Formats: sequence, structure tokens, C-alpha cells
Amino acid sequence: MMSKVRTLSVVLLGFFLASCAEMQTKQQAFPAMYTDQKPVSMVIVPAINETTAADAGDLLNVTISQPFANHGYYVMPIPIVADIWKSEGVLEGDQLKGMPTSVFLETFGADSVLFLTINTWDTNYAVIAANVTVGLEYVLLSTRTNDVLWSYEEQVIIDTGSSSGNLLVDVIATAVSTAVTDYVPIARSVHQEAVKAMPYGVYHPKSGQDGAEQTVLTSSKEAALFED
Amino acid sequence: MMRIVVVPLLVSLLLATGCATVTEAGYYWGDYSTTLYNFTKNPSEETLAAHEEELHEIIEYSADNSLTVPPGIYAELGYINAKRGDDDKALAYYEAEMQNFPSSRHFLERLVAVNKEAS
Repeated sequence: MMSKVRTLSVVLLGFFLASCAEMQTKQQAFPAMYTDQKPVSMVIVPAINETTAADAGDLLNVTISQPFANHGYYVMPIPIVADIWKSEGVLEGDQLKGMPTSVFLETFGADSVLFLTINTWDTNYAVIAANVTVGLEYVLLSTRTNDVLWSYEEQVIIDTGSSSGNLLVDVIATAVSTAVTDYVPIARSVHQEAVKAMPYGVYHPKSGQDGAEQTVLTSSKEAALFED
Repeated sequence: MMRIVVVPLLVSLLLATGCATVTEAGYYWGDYSTTLYNFTKNPSEETLAAHEEELHEIIEYSADNSLTVPPGIYAELGYINAKRGDDDKALAYYEAEMQNFPSSRHFLERLVAVNKEAS
């Protein structure tokens, strides 16, 4: 009898451990963000584009400051910073990788530097539907200590078309709805997803109060998007 | 660490085109990223004018609704004016940015100093 109970509890414990591994509080996941290392400001370097989608970098660069500013951080003005990189001959973020992060503190006075890598940007056109798969990796480093303050990796599938039952209309609609300017709000919502996993910055009313919030480290969230 | 998220286009478009939204941090952005994207992809007098107009619109809306102008908006206007050679206007906008966000001071003061050296 006793041994049966013990077995059961061991199994239960195993279950608990397995499910706990997927969820952590923000404070457990990113402890430095709850110390005096927490940055007020960040400079975002041009996206490191590992894909063949030439437009992806610009799209993600121009849309990135808004979600991070909304999350409570001071983001160094992207277009001005971009001009400075250009004048220094820096067009891609990977030219800045491996540089001592103190450079970003000296040049911009930024407490942190954010690197964004685009790993995937796949456009899939089917007859009745279309989607874009975007894979991104964010790494936020302290410019004072070189430590990783926050990081996040995501794979986002964006449906850009749906079926109306009329193939010709769908092909046209798909082509129209994936025109480049439509990607601007998409790119912004892609960043928005990542930012959700990040502790709030000082300019957000919930700054410092989200340590116990759960952040999803390994999980997939699929949703039915368009119902026929 | 990998997370898969599906973002429906329709929903994001609705959010983007919906009525004036103010974020939890109290910012209004108008059409900022669209006008910035157009200017970045195709820099011209027209796209710059459209973006500049959007920046002014954000400032006006924020003033009317007692909101803080979002990070970078004043700084961008300052920068646009500095490039035109209107240093007085540039400094006034930079000052407004530094008032709202002291974190910008180091960078903007440096920017002004470098421009002075260059001219």
C-alpha cells in the first residue's frame, strides 16, 4: 500500500517538474531586469538579416521602436541612429557583433543594446491561402556589464489571405493583401509578441510589478484564423 | 525557447486602422511606422514631408490629450530641421526630447557637437 502511494507521488512530481520547465516567472527568467542593471534606455542596431528577403530588415527596423517604447523603454531614435551607422559604413547589424558593448554607452549613452536577428522570412503562396513565416531572435545586452539582460526567440506564422470560395478572387486578394505596405502593421505585431515576454521598462506604469508574471519559454500558440 | 505565434492579418490591420489608440504607457503614435517606412524605402521630398507632417500630428494630438510625446518624435523633428540648417528649431526640438527623456541628453548633445565641428 505504502509503496503504491509513493510511486504515485513520484509520478505526480515528475508531471509537475515537466510542466514547470515550460513556464517561468519573468523574474526567474530574466533576474537582471529586476536589479539596478535594468536599463532605462536602449539602442537598437540594424537587424541582422540571415534570410534572402531583402525588405525584411527595413520593415523590422522601422517598426521596432514603437513596441519597445510602449513597453516602457527609451529607444534611441531609429532614423538618426541609422544615419550614424551609415556614415560609419555600417549597413548590417552583424558588423557590430562582437564589438565591446561599452561603445554603445559612449556613443549613445544607452544602458543597453538590442540585437535582432531575422532567421526566417518565408512567404508561402498557395492558391487559396498565403502566409509568411517569420523567425526572429532578440538579445538585449547591458552596455555596462556585457551581460545578457533579456532574450527571446519566436517563430510567427502570419496568414495573409483566406478563402472566399472563388479561386480567381482569392488569387487577386492574396496578391493585394501581401503588398509591402501591409507588412508594416504585421511587422509591428511580430515585435509586439516578443515584447510581451519582456519585463516592463521604467516608463510603463507596471514597471517593477511584473516579476511574478508568467512568461512562456517553450510553448506553441496556434489559433484558427479564418473560418471558411 | 522557440515560441510559435500566429498573427491574423485582419486583426492586425483592424488594430492599425482603428480609431486613435493610446498605449498603456500613454503614447499616441498615429501612422508613425508607415510614414517612416515609406521614407526609409523611398527617400524623397514627398515621403519626408509626409513623415514630418505625421510627427507634427503626433505632437498635436499628444498636447490636446495631455499625453507625453513618444520617445524619439521630438528628436526626429530636431534632426530633420538640423539637416535643413535650421539650428534654432533643431535645438528647441532636441531640448523638448531631453526634457521628456533625460536618457537622450548624452546622445543629442553629442549630435549637436559633431554637427558644429562639421560645419
